Amino acid sequence: MANLTIEDNFPAGIRVLVIDDDRTSLHVVCMMLESCGYKVTKCTSGKEGLEMLRQEGQFDIVLTDVHMPDMDGFQLLEHVGLEMDLPVVMLSVDSSHENVVKGLKHGACDYLIKPVQREELEKIGEHVITWRRANAGIFDD
Amino acid sequence: MDVSMLQRTYTDLLTSLFREGILNQQFIELQQLQDENNPGFVNEVVSLFFEDAGRLITELISNFNQQAVDYKKVDAYVHQLKGSSASIGAEKIRSVCQTFREYYDKNDIQGCYNCIQPLKQEFMTFKSKLEALFALEQQIVAAGGSIPMMRH
Repeated sequence: MANLTIEDNFPAGIRVLVIDDDRTSLHVVCMMLESCGYKVTKCTSGKEGLEMLRQEGQFDIVLTDVHMPDMDGFQLLEHVGLEMDLPVVMLSVDSSHENVVKGLKHGACDYLIKPVQREELEKIGEHVITWRRANAGIFDD
Repeated sequence: MDVSMLQRTYTDLLTSLFREGILNQQFIELQQLQDENNPGFVNEVVSLFFEDAGRLITELISNFNQQAVDYKKVDAYVHQLKGSSASIGAEKIRSVCQTFREYYDKNDIQGCYNCIQPLKQEFMTFKSKLEALFALEQQIVAAGGSIPMMRH
């Protein structure tokens, strides 16, 4: 597991994978994240995103849309929770209470409603720090 | 046409788009992301929207013309359109999508159907206005001027 030295050049060291089948939304979110100093990788498919995540050590956090045709955000969240140790933030234009609760209950560290504001994205680096502090010592280094 | 006239026309057009509710604050967020490192950002993202939304609306209309409408599919298309229009500040389009989903949740098929033409109309209006806006931007830059920024 990578160490916590990202705090030295926070948030510049943080690598984000953004998954959304909607190109427009994806482009906007990625531009906002880049403007905050994050290193961003885009992906338009849940399945492809999962494959990229399975290649260990590439990303510090995942942002995923909820409604996607091949694999939805909840399924992705479940896989990530079972197979790896990464914070997941969900994105959706759907603000239904039910889905927000579902996401958070299944381990998402946040659930953002589109259109997402830059200020909300600025904070995702904090989720990485919090997540690592919470999981430190649970996994072998 | 001289630069200041072009800039004035641009500002008037942009102001009217906000006043008519075609654009909302999110569009200004996009303009603020545009800088020397990403000079074509707004144009790029709106062009993506033109392509993808145009295709979605065509699919929607063709789905509604079938004998047996697949409402789940239609709802998925509208959901995506809602997300993309919200992301770029295309307020009227987003709003019609919202209305559609409210009818869909109530199983009101007529209500859903009544949203399709307005959706197409709002998209055509949005496209032509934004194309005019971008054309003005090009003319301003070609004439050596800078694009006036709108503050909300």
